[in-house]
Amino acid sequence: MHLSREAIVEGLQRIVGPADVITDRRILVESSVDNFRKLQNIFDVHTMPVPAAIVMARSTEQVAAILRFAGEHTINVIPRTGGTATEGGLESAVPDSIIIDGSAMNRIVDIDAYDMQATCQCGVPLQALEDRVRELGLTTGHSPQSKPVAHMGGLVATRSIGQFSTLYGGIEDMVVGLEAVFPGGIVTRIKNVPRRAAGPDIRHVVIGNEGALCFITEVTVKLFPYFPENNVFLGYTLKDMKTGFEVLRAVMVNGYKPSVARVYDPGDAGLHFSHFAADDDCVLLFMAEGPAGIAKATADGIAAIVAGFAECTRVDSAYIETWFNDLCWGPDKITAEDERIRQTLNVNRTTEISADWSSINDIYQAARARIIAEIPDITMMGGHSSHSYINGTNMYFNYFFNVVGVGPEEETAKYYLPIIGIICEETLKRGGSIVHHHGMGKARAPWVRDEYGSSYYILETLKHAFDPEGIMNKGTIFPL
Amino acid sequence: MSAVRVLVCFKVTPDFEALREADWAAAATQGVQTRYVRRVLNCFDESALELALGLSDAAARLGVTVELGALSIGGREVDPYLKTLVALGYERAARVAAGADGDIADTDAAGVGVGAAAGAAGVDGAGLDRAASGLDFAPAVVASIIASYVLRADHSDLLVLGCRSGPGDGGTVPFRVAEALGWPCLTRVTSIEPLGDGRLRVGAMVDDGLLRVTLRPPCVLAVGNALVSHLRAPTLKDRLERRERRIDVLAAADLGLDIAAELRREACVPTALETIDRRRRGAVIAGATPRDKARTLFDSYLSDLIETL
Ligand SMILES: Cc1cc2nc3c(=O)[nH]c(=O)nc-3n(C[C@H](O)[C@H](O)[C@H](O)COP(=O)(O)OP(=O)(O)OC[C@H]3O[C@@H](n4cnc5c(N)ncnc54)[C@H](O)[C@@H]3O)c2cc1C
Repeated sequence: MHLSREAIVEGLQRIVGPADVITDRRILVESSVDNFRKLQNIFDVHTMPVPAAIVMARSTEQVAAILRFAGEHTINVIPRTGGTATEGGLESAVPDSIIIDGSAMNRIVDIDAYDMQATCQCGVPLQALEDRVRELGLTTGHSPQSKPVAHMGGLVATRSIGQFSTLYGGIEDMVVGLEAVFPGGIVTRIKNVPRRAAGPDIRHVVIGNEGALCFITEVTVKLFPYFPENNVFLGYTLKDMKTGFEVLRAVMVNGYKPSVARVYDPGDAGLHFSHFAADDDCVLLFMAEGPAGIAKATADGIAAIVAGFAECTRVDSAYIETWFNDLCWGPDKITAEDERIRQTLNVNRTTEISADWSSINDIYQAARARIIAEIPDITMMGGHSSHSYINGTNMYFNYFFNVVGVGPEEETAKYYLPIIGIICEETLKRGGSIVHHHGMGKARAPWVRDEYGSSYYILETLKHAFDPEGIMNKGTIFPL
Repeated sequence: MSAVRVLVCFKVTPDFEALREADWAAAATQGVQTRYVRRVLNCFDESALELALGLSDAAARLGVTVELGALSIGGREVDPYLKTLVALGYERAARVAAGADGDIADTDAAGVGVGAAAGAAGVDGAGLDRAASGLDFAPAVVASIIASYVLRADHSDLLVLGCRSGPGDGGTVPFRVAEALGWPCLTRVTSIEPLGDGRLRVGAMVDDGLLRVTLRPPCVLAVGNALVSHLRAPTLKDRLERRERRIDVLAAADLGLDIAAELRREACVPTALETIDRRRRGAVIAGATPRDKARTLFDSYLSDLIETL
């Protein structure tokens, strides 16, 4: 039976107590969107259905009870931890949803410096975990720009990736085991082992589920020794992205594992590097890390490879090191950026895709050219590649536009979605993936069938099997 | 009514936010190494640049022409900002390349005009850097460059600039320029509106509130903590349309100035830097429930405070 908002709140209060059920209208309204429709919060114009309540879960048992309750009454639930989602994963697509907030489940359960793994609850901010393991001379190796604000549950749920991915991999390479609660309140624990071949790797049902299959309550990630004193930075300027991609490819296929390997196009480079790069320069940069011998050999090997590309000019490494030290975004930068948008109506958006080496430059060029030609009011259209693999790389499109002639609530329809559409089209046309690391959310869900092709059968079957009532984060990954 | 000729002066500074704790710790003995950090518009100047654009928009609605110009003193890192301003509608864009070791040249090619004396000498990046930092603590020299530019080259009648800028942060440049020009100077400006008859209505902070005055240029307006603090962005189309517009690069000598000599006369010389310890005491309040925590907060920290009020 369909429950009223009041009955939903009462039901939740019975499970967690009244203090942990948030019904403050303002907070609910703000929680109806995430960064995908951030203009709605910046300008306080809201169009999405208002959730019925936010429930602060404090234990796995509570999460299980909430999911049972939601299942019995077919109430949509939206899992949330850090709240930094960029693709609409936190948006309330239907009225009277319950946001299950795991940020109070913020205990670091165990740090095991012998077996080199750390276990923490879903609401532990990555920064908090990283700070703790650093005290032991260790690192998680995970450093998304949102490290100060994103939490472990969300980071696993979105298949996030960090700045040092070329060495440490994405979150999927770091998670050893986890605990997750499925609809019906079924608690599942996947044990922590180095590897196993006992059937399919079921971690991948959970990693990247974006709250559309289950709620992640606990994760165990690998730890690595931390040798910041050995870090070596390399930076270059060059004139075209095609060469930049070629250099990245050469580094990867020659077997080097820098922690960072990036190439910025002139537009994007202008935002970061105008103090040493000309305005038509691309910027190529690397960081090598690890034990002294490895870091040095990696940096020397890369320097030798780049020396083979006459168009690359070396710049002082201190530029790159200094830039790197200030790359993460905490609440201060996020607030400052919101204020900039409020005053100028100049909005910065990003869309990240991946493709093989043969296609990436074509996708970059084609999408960029089309966006400039087809979308009005663009003030910057650029991007960078920041995560490379043996067979290809990603492209992180970074673009700004002025919102002209429409209200803040229409920004996504007039600008953001058409741009995403162009990027998805150009990527799919050439066999790439439309999402490299932010998740499908609701923003790119309309393209899910094209993304998966015949393998959509597997994905869809997971949804039917684990969430038969369709209560998990409606509209996310699977379009309404 | 004749057009108002506005000149906005701005400085491109290192982004101090991007420096690490360790960089500041080393400051006392070695100075602050800012060469490697990204550059940003000095925040007060950014307000000034946007307020001037707003003034121009409002004047256009009243049928009055406002001709905008922008001037900066510095190295090549300023040029992208000048190009942005040109794309936004600044009709005049100039950079004075001037420094501690005499006239500084800029060898940049595309779209950048080079002043006569500037073209003569070639100086490398390090020279530009030294030059820029040489002027950081030389407000008299900066003011004389600006005043000379207004009198000899630009002939503007309204000068808008930020009230101060890092790293010197002395806040005297607007006063010195006003004195050199013999113009009145209004400080802590937060808004500038046209009245349509050649006069401006200017808002400025004073200790007890907001002052609104009506004034007629020429004058110097030093912008303070304005609510308008971000510069709008030009579209790629705007950039394309105005990309051939010239940026004037002048040497100080073009303005009849001998910077080396002026610097020797500069009274203010930085001798040492001290970091301020801004750490505050803090405690994490423990408690089983928010109610318990609120109770502890009240009993241990707030109740005494409330009593003393
Ligand atoms: C400034 C900024 C920089 C960023 N940089 C990066 C970057 O470098 N790399 C990167 O990968 N991403 C980046 N992101 C995106 C974002 O930080 C990541 O997607 C992050 O993983 C989200 O974590 P969160 O804890 O904030 O999750 P939330 O925002 O709370 O949720 C994200 C998604 O996961 C689901 N979810 C959250 N918690 C759970 C849970 N416990 N169980 C099941 N589902 C859950 C939600 O329903 C939602 O769909 C950035 C975002 C911002 C705002």
